[in-house]
Amino acid sequence: MGAEQEQKSVFEHVEGTAKVYSYAYEDYESGDKGVQSMVEDILADPDFPGLTDLAVGDWGDTWDESCQPILDGIVEHAEQFSHIEKLFIGLMGYEECEVSWIMQGNYSKLWAALPNLKRLAIKGSTELELGEICHEGLEELTIICGGIGSDVIASIQNAKLPNLKKLLLYVGVEDYGFDGNADTIKELLAKADFPKLQYLGITDSEIQDELTKVVLESKFMSQIETLDLSMGTLTDIGGALLLEAVPKFPNIKTLDVHYHYMSDEMEEKLKNLPICVDVSEQNEPDEYHGTIYMNAMLTE
Amino acid sequence: MIQAVLLGNADTKRTEYFRKAAQQVKLSFFFADWNDFEVWKAQLLDGQKRLVKIDPPLWKSCSLEELDSLVCDYIRKLDELSEIAAGGTLHFLNHPQAIKDLLNKRDCKRKLEEAGLAVTKMLAYSTDFSSGDAPATQLVEMMRRTGMSQVFIKPVNGSGAAGISAFRIQPKTGRMALYTCAAQHPAHGLINTKRLRCFREQKEVFALLNRILNLDCIVERWYAKAQYGEYTYDLRAVVQDGSVEFLLGRLSKGPITNLHLNNHPLEASELGIPEAVLKETACLCEKAMGCFSGLRYAGIDLLLEKNSLHPKIIEMNAQGDLIYQDIFHHNRIYRREAEMMRAWSVWNAK
Repeated sequence: MGAEQEQKSVFEHVEGTAKVYSYAYEDYESGDKGVQSMVEDILADPDFPGLTDLAVGDWGDTWDESCQPILDGIVEHAEQFSHIEKLFIGLMGYEECEVSWIMQGNYSKLWAALPNLKRLAIKGSTELELGEICHEGLEELTIICGGIGSDVIASIQNAKLPNLKKLLLYVGVEDYGFDGNADTIKELLAKADFPKLQYLGITDSEIQDELTKVVLESKFMSQIETLDLSMGTLTDIGGALLLEAVPKFPNIKTLDVHYHYMSDEMEEKLKNLPICVDVSEQNEPDEYHGTIYMNAMLTE
Repeated sequence: MIQAVLLGNADTKRTEYFRKAAQQVKLSFFFADWNDFEVWKAQLLDGQKRLVKIDPPLWKSCSLEELDSLVCDYIRKLDELSEIAAGGTLHFLNHPQAIKDLLNKRDCKRKLEEAGLAVTKMLAYSTDFSSGDAPATQLVEMMRRTGMSQVFIKPVNGSGAAGISAFRIQPKTGRMALYTCAAQHPAHGLINTKRLRCFREQKEVFALLNRILNLDCIVERWYAKAQYGEYTYDLRAVVQDGSVEFLLGRLSKGPITNLHLNNHPLEASELGIPEAVLKETACLCEKAMGCFSGLRYAGIDLLLEKNSLHPKIIEMNAQGDLIYQDIFHHNRIYRREAEMMRAWSVWNAK
């Protein structure tokens, strides 16, 4: 994977007026600051009551300390956090922590604690638990990771999110937490009930062609406006499936397949679809001792 | 008669653009090629007053294990120049002793630390792991003991990105990552590939680390650097006669930002760095220059720590004055140096 390409993913999810709360090494090396002090510091910030977007970055020793105390702190002070509409937990680059090393936490109590939450982004899947998801107002859910666990997928599959408009999942690879297969995603898309979904992203997979087939056969194809199959190992096989299927769904206005392994010819064909298509970041497979290697963008 | 001398290498950008700068300020100078060092060294004893600018010699070897002998040879020549200078007629823009002081990353860092200046934190001043467990095992143990789970490993002698490696380990799972331009070559041993690669398999990582740590290295903390869009960056300040003449951002999508790795350079003024941080950076550079006598210019590499943007000196280079973004535009750095030499010539001619 390109750690070097991870940065883009991070920044795509922070925009506008988000304030990032994060510790530098100097802050936490002495032990004064850390995951236990983060909520206290956020609440002490005079800017905080006026913010609607909150991002939590490096909480110090993120590869060692779970962010659970932060999640618990938000729940404990739910009243003071109730104005938050956008939340990102784990906003950090690879220089602070490799994505698969970030120690996440259990979000099951967060749903009720933040009734005004509209967008949630989580980076890292180690120790990530979403629990029973039930939220009337949530419109966007993004999980950025090197490998998403089937228990997390199950939580999303059973989620009660009647207003969810965007679902973006980094599927990742087996070595870093993805313990399912194409059927896991097929079941997710079959059972998930997101009547307002407009953006579906099943991305960053080393079985991107298989997942493309699964997505194209899902019920969401007739309702979404944006199809995101980017950052994975999409080859001409997946490209051909897209060429054939996408024109059948006039509701789809945007196709994102950036970071891929398709040929120049397939790129051109996709670009000629009468919709907005991103086919940037073409990759060449590596060949070593006769074996072809292709990598999803974000894994470790 | 007073003579300005450039000691360098023919057909290099350094020489070509210094020549242009010299023409602009009407400085005539004698070019002495490193390849002919032994020949013209004797001429320096003729009693004529000279001011010499020393550019670094060119090394063609990509073998990291040959670095020490190359540097030793260079140091020997610098010592010879210092000896000749003791006679009183030979002067330098940067004194050979100052170049030596900065060439050794360990000594340079120590001096800056002793002066209380903000530098990247050291884990080890030496990787002399000759006894006990394998060097990589000892390093990991040292990291565990100090709670420093990500480090940079740098050969004490070396420039560019030669041998520089970024290593991190997840203490709980033992997962690790080694970003390095070094690679093992069947014929040439440990070489500098000038291409950054990442290794994650312990066997592979340890094998490479053991070789790298066998070089004389320092180990320092790997900090998260300031970001500009999707890049991280550090800074190269070119300081001349005590003030920052040029500040360049070195943008990268990997952990090593060295310009030799074809990273993306951008003038610091475009990075949106707050004025107070720029002032703090300039002040730090000026103090760092003051730590070394006989040093009139240097390239200083600094990082701004992510979020706090506090500047820390990564290293200094007494010959870090070649900046392509400058020579291809205004050539200010070399022109200033040519002016410094011309002013010295005029003053001493009186």
